[in-house]
Amino acid sequence: MQTEFDVVIIGSGAGGSPIAYTLAKAGKSVLILEKGPLFRPQYQNPQGLSDFKRDELFADGPEKRIRIPGVANFNEAFYSSHVEPDINDEPHIYRDPNGQDRATIEGYTAQVVGGGTQLYGGVSLRFTPTDLRLQSFNAGRNDLKNDPNGDVQREARDWPVSYDELEPYYVKAEYLVGLNGTVDNQLKPFSKDSYQPPLEPNPISNYAKAGMDKLGEQLGAGKPIKPYRTPLAVITRDHEPSGRKVPKDPETLKTSYVNRFGCPLGVKSSTWVSLLSPIASLPNFEIRTNCVVTHLESEGSKVSRVVYRDPSGKTRFVQGKLVIVACSAIESIRLLKLSAQLSSEFNKRINQNDLLGKYFLTHCFGGASALMPTRSDKTLALDADWATDACATDDFLKSRGLWAGGAVYNNTSDQALPISLGRTHGSRDLDTLWKGFIEDTSLAAQGLTDFLDNNIGRGLSVSFMANQVPLKTNRIELHPTIQDKWGRPVAHIIKQWHSHDRYLMDTLAEMCGQILKLGGNTIPGEFKFEFQGQGGVYLAENALARIANHILGGARFGNDRNDSVLDRNCKAWDFDNLYVTDGSFMPTSGGANPTLTIQANSFRVADELLKRL
Amino acid sequence: MAIEILQTDDQYVLNHCTKFLARDNKDPRHNFGQLSNDDPRSRIAENWRFPIIDSYSDGKDFVKSYSSNVVTFVYQQPGATPPTDVAVIGTFANLYEPIPLKPVNFVGEPTGYYALSIVVPKAQFHTYKFIVNGQAIIDPINPQRTQLDNGQLWSRFFTQLCTEPLNFEDWEFDIVTRLVDHILPFRTKEGENFLNRYYNFLGKQDKQVQYAYAYRLDESVGAANFIDNILAREENHHLIDYKICLGQINQILRKRNPYVEPKNVSKELYIDLYNEMATNQVNGWNYQQYQEPRFFLQLLRRHTFSGAFSHPKYGGNVGGTGWAYLSERYRDQNGKTLFDWRRAIEAPLGLNSDYRG
Repeated sequence: MQTEFDVVIIGSGAGGSPIAYTLAKAGKSVLILEKGPLFRPQYQNPQGLSDFKRDELFADGPEKRIRIPGVANFNEAFYSSHVEPDINDEPHIYRDPNGQDRATIEGYTAQVVGGGTQLYGGVSLRFTPTDLRLQSFNAGRNDLKNDPNGDVQREARDWPVSYDELEPYYVKAEYLVGLNGTVDNQLKPFSKDSYQPPLEPNPISNYAKAGMDKLGEQLGAGKPIKPYRTPLAVITRDHEPSGRKVPKDPETLKTSYVNRFGCPLGVKSSTWVSLLSPIASLPNFEIRTNCVVTHLESEGSKVSRVVYRDPSGKTRFVQGKLVIVACSAIESIRLLKLSAQLSSEFNKRINQNDLLGKYFLTHCFGGASALMPTRSDKTLALDADWATDACATDDFLKSRGLWAGGAVYNNTSDQALPISLGRTHGSRDLDTLWKGFIEDTSLAAQGLTDFLDNNIGRGLSVSFMANQVPLKTNRIELHPTIQDKWGRPVAHIIKQWHSHDRYLMDTLAEMCGQILKLGGNTIPGEFKFEFQGQGGVYLAENALARIANHILGGARFGNDRNDSVLDRNCKAWDFDNLYVTDGSFMPTSGGANPTLTIQANSFRVADELLKRL
Repeated sequence: MAIEILQTDDQYVLNHCTKFLARDNKDPRHNFGQLSNDDPRSRIAENWRFPIIDSYSDGKDFVKSYSSNVVTFVYQQPGATPPTDVAVIGTFANLYEPIPLKPVNFVGEPTGYYALSIVVPKAQFHTYKFIVNGQAIIDPINPQRTQLDNGQLWSRFFTQLCTEPLNFEDWEFDIVTRLVDHILPFRTKEGENFLNRYYNFLGKQDKQVQYAYAYRLDESVGAANFIDNILAREENHHLIDYKICLGQINQILRKRNPYVEPKNVSKELYIDLYNEMATNQVNGWNYQQYQEPRFFLQLLRRHTFSGAFSHPKYGGNVGGTGWAYLSERYRDQNGKTLFDWRRAIEAPLGLNSDYRG
């Protein structure tokens, strides 16, 4: 068994795979250690069957119960995807508003080759140039709302990398990963259009488009801001870089088995099918699956060994000239903290300042929902059809006293399938699945018929995804008492929403509500338009747990060693060979879903690593 | 009895067992009441997944293969010393012929897991034992066990589309079915019309392919059967809820109408009972025995809805009936369905020619 490599990468998702792809193609020896299994699409399995299924009970399986001693939600029910961890084995613990600890499934992506990109909806928007320079953008402003202590100006950070520097890597990621969408009407500069053409939008999305058009006219002040087709990580044409083929009629790819489902045909561009499969047969590339890295060891400024448990639980180790940690922000921070706990030398270097785990970020998110006047077949849809940058322009932000903006897009396939409709009824997060449905006992017989009649094919939601104010107090720690199935302290998530976050969420939720109201009666139908509500996630019952599986920050990069954990190339300041490239490098969370930016940054870092090997 | 043995690779086995079996923990965190805390299985996540039941294909005829499953037995050596031999005997083959499990390796080195994959037709249940170092033992992982007529305890598994009663007595099935009927929309007038039309207009071939296993099909579209299946395996921890509450419901209904069997009492009696359970105020309920009838109702509602609309392989939604109901109910002005479930689902159940299930 080979134990020495040029590069050892921990995690096979968006942060690790671009590096593996680049370095393996350049002839370097690369090992990926992945905690989860390798589940393949149909075309890669000898018997022609996929390990992923179009099966709603794969997305959220049977009921289990939280049996972790000492948590406030002991014995509560939870449901997880077949590739999410069992939280009794590997819980994330968060502190609720009463100061009690609760176990949560939020904050995990997926434990499988491809990581979160196996389950995500595939929304792949670029961040805006302003997203990467929020310190500069907000400097000297005195119009910021709901920021009585000046936190925004104190805590906002420019990225050490500009949009112009990142742009070629966006292009690279868009091409190699394989996206469909449209560039026209996006307000981010594009040097190249690498998108494949989008599929026909679902008819229900016409309402969203109409509303976005009207909102864009109102906000554009003489220069309308028009919507564009949401970039999605789903190929609609044969994809040359990965060798993937699409069915003869690409329109048949619209199935609603996208978000929270692995793709049995491999057309959703997970990092496995897009970046790792093309290098899988190279002799200098290896991926060891079902292996959990327990800690890193160091000698001086070098990470000397990566220690892991093999599938039987046996302890093994490997060595890499370079070591890349990319197992999603919470788990990466945890791994570094666990390593520091075991070695004073490692501790001294990784904690050369007090920032590791601090400034943990997710997104300000939320939206609005309504029932539309016409019924559409929402099962013939991907995750989103239309998006607008109307709430991300500098003018909009200044007119509303906002520090940063966000992307707005409609969800097309949400609640299209009956079980997903049932289990998310009245509960929109992973910890409270089924709760609303089971408690609403009026949903029986005619009541259930009415519920289905009202909701199947009529529900439309518009979401926003926006920057969260970085706070040092929002952090990832090791839990003092609760351990995982290997006896290691688990991650403890301590976070809150800033008052400006709440204001921002209210503002953008209002915009989403406006889109639905402005568009909701544009096409007459047999039903009445029914606005259901709007709001930000901070209003949710368990708002402090909500993460949207956008797990960012905690090891931010920067140009000042006293103000960041990583340098501009994502290397830990006091190590020669330790890099962190998942979302934890982000000093601000960006105004869009983060995966594409994580991938683009990883391609950028990979080019830097090539110079070193 | 010939049995087809499949050559699954080690990666497949590790993919399906590592997450659940590899661990150091000693806490009984996976006991939700269905085991005792000192049972080693209470430390294993989702132990019900063993043996692994998966889709089968011979790589040539996907529709023909659709009637079988791959069943993968996994044995994990308990200590450092590997067993000299591990085999399985079971009712799926000749009981006098142990079939050996093979060691599973990781990067060429032994893992302590042993596995065997065989092809078993759908809609069957079987009993089996491992033979380890010549000694017959029940599967240390799989929680499903059954006592044979001779008093012997054997491990049990069932394949997809199973319609054999696994937990419920006939009278329990009857009550579950009546409750399920009330929850689902199929007992509304329109729902009954749909069911009558749907089954009556099915072609002979469709009936053979989709309903070959459907002798339990009733107005509950198999949801009661789904519940029986899920209580036998994935949610066995809730079997006790059903056993206690069905017993109580049986008694209450007999008190309320002493002259009619609970399965035949009026719809109104079930509606009254449902509404009382929803408010937690059930006349005649023994609260000392079971504190929250509402909790049972919530459980039943989740199971019912899941059973009616989940993939038919789980034993409910027989032939996609629940989906077909939505498909017929929601149509545009030209009669085109607005819930085209068949388009995404594999043949022979659906019409998708790219996805094989």
